[in-house]
Amino acid sequence: MKYAFYPGCVAKGGAPELYMSTRAVAEALDIQLEELEGAACTGAGVLSERNPELADTLNARTFAMAERLGLPLMNICSTCHGVMSQSNARLRKDPEYLERINKRLAPERLHYSGEVSIKHFLWVMMEDIGLDKVRSLVVNPLGDLKAAPFYGCYIVRPTWVLGYDEKPERKHYLEDLIEALGAQSVEYQGVDKCCGFPILTMNRENSLRMTGTHLLDAKTQGADMMVTPCPLCHLNLDGGQVDAAGVVKANLELPVLHLPQMVGMAFGMKPERLGLKKNIVNTQPVLKKAGFA
Amino acid sequence: MEVKLRVRRYDPEGDRKPYTQEYAVEMPDSATVLDSLIQVREEVDETLGLRCSCRSSICGSCAMRINGRARLACKTKVVAVAPNGGTVNVEPAGNMPVLKDLIVDFEVFWEKIKAVVPWLRPEGPEPEREYIVDNDKMLNLNTTVACIMCGACVSDCTSLEVDPGFLGPAALAKAYRFVGDPRDGHKLDRLKQYTEAHGMWDCAHCFMCVEVCPKDVAPMDWILELRREAEAEGFTNHNGVRHGRSIAESVKEAGWLDEGKVAMESMGSIGEKLALVPVGMRAFFRGKMPPMGPMHYQRPGAESVRRIFEELEAKE
Amino acid sequence: MVYEHDVLVIGAGLAGLRAAIEATRKGVDVAVLTKVHPVRSHTNAAQGGINAALNEGDSWESHAYDTVKGSDFLGDQDAIEVLCQEAPGEIIELEHMGVVFNRDENGRLGSRAFGGASQARTYFVADFTGQALLHTAYEQSLKYQIRTYSEFFATSLIMEDGACKGCIALELRTGKLHVVKAKAVILATGGVGRAFEPSTNALICTGDGMALAYGGGAPLMDMEMIQYHPTTIKSNGALITEAARGEGAYLINSLGERFMAKYAPNMMELASRDVVSRAEQTEINEGRGVDGCVLLDLRHLGERVISTKLSQVRDLAIDFANVDMVKDPVPIRPGMHYIMGGIKTDITAKTQVAGIYAAGETACVSLHGGNRLGANSLLELVVFGRRAGESAAAYATSSRHARGGESLAEKDAQHIKQLTGAKTKGEMAGPLRLELGKTMNEFCGVYRTEDGLKTALDRVVKLRERYKGITVQDKGSAFNTNLTAALELGNMLDVAEVICRAALFRRESRGAHTRLDFPTRDDENWLKHTLVYKTDGEPRLDTAPVTITRWQPVERKY
Repeated sequence: MKYAFYPGCVAKGGAPELYMSTRAVAEALDIQLEELEGAACTGAGVLSERNPELADTLNARTFAMAERLGLPLMNICSTCHGVMSQSNARLRKDPEYLERINKRLAPERLHYSGEVSIKHFLWVMMEDIGLDKVRSLVVNPLGDLKAAPFYGCYIVRPTWVLGYDEKPERKHYLEDLIEALGAQSVEYQGVDKCCGFPILTMNRENSLRMTGTHLLDAKTQGADMMVTPCPLCHLNLDGGQVDAAGVVKANLELPVLHLPQMVGMAFGMKPERLGLKKNIVNTQPVLKKAGFA
Repeated sequence: MEVKLRVRRYDPEGDRKPYTQEYAVEMPDSATVLDSLIQVREEVDETLGLRCSCRSSICGSCAMRINGRARLACKTKVVAVAPNGGTVNVEPAGNMPVLKDLIVDFEVFWEKIKAVVPWLRPEGPEPEREYIVDNDKMLNLNTTVACIMCGACVSDCTSLEVDPGFLGPAALAKAYRFVGDPRDGHKLDRLKQYTEAHGMWDCAHCFMCVEVCPKDVAPMDWILELRREAEAEGFTNHNGVRHGRSIAESVKEAGWLDEGKVAMESMGSIGEKLALVPVGMRAFFRGKMPPMGPMHYQRPGAESVRRIFEELEAKE
Repeated sequence: MVYEHDVLVIGAGLAGLRAAIEATRKGVDVAVLTKVHPVRSHTNAAQGGINAALNEGDSWESHAYDTVKGSDFLGDQDAIEVLCQEAPGEIIELEHMGVVFNRDENGRLGSRAFGGASQARTYFVADFTGQALLHTAYEQSLKYQIRTYSEFFATSLIMEDGACKGCIALELRTGKLHVVKAKAVILATGGVGRAFEPSTNALICTGDGMALAYGGGAPLMDMEMIQYHPTTIKSNGALITEAARGEGAYLINSLGERFMAKYAPNMMELASRDVVSRAEQTEINEGRGVDGCVLLDLRHLGERVISTKLSQVRDLAIDFANVDMVKDPVPIRPGMHYIMGGIKTDITAKTQVAGIYAAGETACVSLHGGNRLGANSLLELVVFGRRAGESAAAYATSSRHARGGESLAEKDAQHIKQLTGAKTKGEMAGPLRLELGKTMNEFCGVYRTEDGLKTALDRVVKLRERYKGITVQDKGSAFNTNLTAALELGNMLDVAEVICRAALFRRESRGAHTRLDFPTRDDENWLKHTLVYKTDGEPRLDTAPVTITRWQPVERKY
């Protein structure tokens, strides 16, 4: 299978472990990734708030690049996925708007028809590859691990932009995948709530309290790790965990993995290849339980 | 069809903590959760406490958590939430103290509404007839005016969960209703007030209120509109504004985010900037500092991105 | 606790809030007492708009004549003149308060056509005008800092020397009874739709104010005049605004015909509501219905019009009739909606009992006579709500408080104890109300007969007997909705009995009151109002003349 690959910004910057593990797992799944190197940032929701047409133009440009390659688009970030899906919905709804935007893409000889398929790596695994294939590659079932899924707001809301009416099973893809990898999925309140990252600069206390609350909740329910398909959430849950622990006044120490890192472990890949030494909260306890001493 | 409900109950006069009680009633296929709860109350258990009135999603009385998410009970068909005849979980709305069963203390909600000064404040002499206003301006307000004050957004707001002092989606949407009304003479006072602590910038834009609102008010969208208005009117001394501008500049310059620069530029005070140092250090020692400043390279095609920015910024 | 105020407004819908705002402006101490939070009031459900002769080329006289004709000449013309003369000023007042009325291309208030109106004079906010007005009035009550007893249920009026001096109220949150003394009381508690099943009305519309006034000695007028709204959804009685027809919707029968051509060839779908409801019922009764309904067809209006002007009703039809009106016609049928009758007041909103004022659906001035035009109800609320506020404020300055304190609540405390204290389990309020509702709908609906009405009266009287034996299972104090349901049922039974008696009394057909045994209008004998007074025995029936100023009754054709 071949995809136009949109890595986003953070995977190429502050979260190289996400990029590394994505490449590794994609290879194992026989997915060829054509990276869209010239694609711009989606705006992370912030640009679309300031100037929706600007964000939609940048995203239409990215979609047009995928179309030029004749490939469906794959991303690895809940925020990118949500922002792209929202842009796409606006572009598809109003042909005049789309035309106006296409005029700005014309100098690069790009044109968006409105028909690109946009999927997060999680959805690619669940829908295009299928759990059977994923399961067939699990050589190291993660039976001792209890993983709390954390989706990230932008891949779960608003439901009507993300196709949940047509495919309600998307609501539990993370849980299904965790179980297919042999681990136990932990049920807790924060699974589809906000990690606080968007308000980190505006209200640090609230932001970290959200982070800390959901981590603590997961831990209390028995989780020994958290897994998320969003690198922005990861920045708060992992990078901000020490400070979050201070805000909620609790001992957290809950390793947080990117989705492909967890999949890679189950596929028996070496921790170094998956960047598992780069996570801020020490992943050693998880590696041990996964059989990587 | 048989409708099975699992209701979270609480008796303020008893000594039990909240508990759940299960009911089963026979209802027509088109029944809503409210129809079923009323049936329980009228024929099975008269002690069940809930607020309800119009049964047609206009009075806002019956907002409650159904299968974990805030909804209007009168607008929720049982078959939509329990398609295979399962049990429907019913709990009181969140973020407000529970008074009895499904009845919550709405004072929390009304206090926030009152805090945004929710009445029109025209300035100058009143015209003899109506104020002359463009219909587009009135239609623009229809969305926020359509709010029925049901509290579903407040119930599930993720910011309110961690910060009860946050004004919240309903009050801020109502705040926009006045900021966006050309007849109101206090736009700047209002924007100043809502920019302050617990106001528009505390929204995590998580889409929860957009998702749960039964009247398509999409409070978050109006909070973002408030932010745009505030920035346009010069209320720019806020990390939120700095953050947005920095991200825009970053993407304009190179086509993608310079994470380190954005983090630094978003913070207004030295103290806040210094607080980022340990975070940066931790990343550094793990070998994952994002390429910052001069190391932040241009993505291929960045000049086209710049051109697009320039074109659209000229329109603002 | 004992509280004291100059003016007490019971009911916080638009009429009550408007009255409270006006009384406050007159400088007296005002309190509003309401069993639900003000913004939960049933005013919310009014969708279509509010009438006024504001357009150039329109005149209050034209509006008044339409209203008089709409009332089938039972409306008091002096009151109707006041309503229509003051309408333009009230709309401007509302706009100044902030209502986001629809505008025309010049930025002025924009209007649309409505039932029974000779020209477009209905001002609106999309299709949720009632909600927009109610919320604006609530905002104004905050601005004026009007003391509001929210979630307090008025259990009885304080009567002293034949004058009303306040009320006893049950605080729902705690179950405590309070004495709320006032020098004047305004009743604005809405209608009594829950005495009918189905009904478009909210669960809170239980005729509380009517029952309170009736018990205090005030007569109820024209109670037989019950409006069945032509377009209600079968599954839950929810209303589809007349504005749909105002925007051009058609009514179709099972043969695909626009059947209104047979009944009202000029106004068609926009004839007065009683005419349209009777037409629909006839089509259904004669076998040209679809599943007990007829069809409301809006497809030709197109998606843009529907989503800008009728978005709320589109959602209602999707939710409760499983139909998207953009693609398919909506099955609808007549449903009990409004009562033209109520507590008799004069044009200053004064009732026949000193100290009691009334406004809104609770009152009968009479503005609507035998049939109310759409969009005149919201208008009534503000014009007469304001008048009630003025009158009550003036009266309060020269009146004094009741004697007595906490002990005034003793009687109601005993009654509540008796209801909740019973050891054995009696009947439940819910099923009794359902029986009442079905009886009233079956026999006091669009078409009535003497036998039917007698049956209804008989059953209501029997239900009142059974009511004496009901018990309240919920023994708690906090939010005892079981108890309030029982109290409301008592009110409904009183009012239902009055409705049946009034319907038997009026031996003609006029407006919404259609008797198959007296099928024509009889101006010679019945150009008058019916009155029902409570006595210790059977209620006393009386009549009152209709005030005619300039329009002599003629045959009513649309």
